[in-house]
Amino acid sequence: MVVRAAKWSWSRAGLQRLALVLLWLGHGTWVLLGPDPARHWTAFLDVLSRPSQAIAARWEGWRAARRDSGRSLAELRAENARLGAELAQVHSQQAQQAPRLAEADEAVRMLGLKQQIPLELKSARVLFATRPATFGGLILDRGQDLGLEPDQGVLVPEGIVGRLWSVGATQSKVLPADAPNASVAVMLMRSRATGVLQGLGSGRALIRYVSNQEVVQPGEAVLTSGLDRVFPRGLLVGYVAEVAKGDLELRLIVNLSAPLDRVNAVLVLPPQPPLEVQPPFVAPETKPQPRKRGAP
Amino acid sequence: MRLAAPTLTRQNLLCAAALGLVALSAPFPGLQSVFHASLVLALAPRAGAPLFGALWAMAAGWILEGSLRLYPHFGGTAWADLTLALLAGWMAGRWPLEGLKGWLARLAALSLLHALLVHGAVRLATTAHPWGWGWFWALLSVPLWGWLAWRLLHAGAGPGRR
Repeated sequence: MVVRAAKWSWSRAGLQRLALVLLWLGHGTWVLLGPDPARHWTAFLDVLSRPSQAIAARWEGWRAARRDSGRSLAELRAENARLGAELAQVHSQQAQQAPRLAEADEAVRMLGLKQQIPLELKSARVLFATRPATFGGLILDRGQDLGLEPDQGVLVPEGIVGRLWSVGATQSKVLPADAPNASVAVMLMRSRATGVLQGLGSGRALIRYVSNQEVVQPGEAVLTSGLDRVFPRGLLVGYVAEVAKGDLELRLIVNLSAPLDRVNAVLVLPPQPPLEVQPPFVAPETKPQPRKRGAP
Repeated sequence: MRLAAPTLTRQNLLCAAALGLVALSAPFPGLQSVFHASLVLALAPRAGAPLFGALWAMAAGWILEGSLRLYPHFGGTAWADLTLALLAGWMAGRWPLEGLKGWLARLAALSLLHALLVHGAVRLATTAHPWGWGWFWALLSVPLWGWLAWRLLHAGAGPGRR
């Protein structure tokens, strides 16, 4: 069988068929494109780019998570700093209010002391202290305006402070009990032996004129004896720290109980107080007597 | 017995008249659908020479959509008409007509397919749309316009140009 190549040419019917095919395909394409031809390309490109978009979305999500974690750390740090600042502010406020609280506490203790001593006590504030200087003392904010006079006793709840050395119009100076030129008539609590307290400085004092026959032990309380007419009898002065026997008398070193370096407010005794002061006496309630039989 | 095909001139004149009726019946969608279906399925298809019939069918689709002036993208109906006209012409050549009953049955089947294809193509070209009742009137009146087309095309047609 001999195969001959057919001569290729367009017949009339072939051209019509071609025209119909092109017409049908073109028209169908036109229909498929629709009102927005770009949407098909967009959809096609969307399909093509879906894997890369998924990868990008995962990458972005990972970065967002990392950024969020970093942000949370930064927020925690900022919150920590803020809390630290608040804590410092609270501490500052507490430090500012501490003196007031101390003053209030001291005022309460002053009031308690005032109720224990049935004398007309006057209160005053310590403006400043010159104790480190030679013949230094405490400067009070009240003077003659409050009717103060020299040689009035000054005390705090912990014990005696000293006596008024000089009184000005509105201020007065206190000679503390540990000053070298200060002297207070004292007695030992247990033996009732009397003596004179002389200051040694730094909150210490020496009791003189106590016979070496007396038995004194360290730690024994030292009270005022009232013989100097500055302090009434029985106010706490301090405690015996050292006991040494001399030729004629005992050498007693006393630690003063009043914190002379930290005194903010004091009470001033009246001048020439009585020797003996009794605490306020509260009379017991009187029970009604049973009526005797036959009595009217 | 194979029926003789109508002359090309006669067929073109009938198609032109039907196309005019499609344009003029725009205020009556049901009637327009009937004219449209008869033009596309009965008058335009021609076995062996489908080009003119395809053009008439396309023109019918464009005029129908143009008269409605509602679609955002024309062409769906015209493409469906083109497809159905080609299919009907191919069927006429592949299975030549032998009587009125077969003609009506074929028209009914093509009408149903035509309705489905038109709405599918319009949906592709635009979006979802209401179908209306034109397809129903066209399908219902198949005996009427099928018989009329039979009479106009084949009854009394002599041996003409094939």
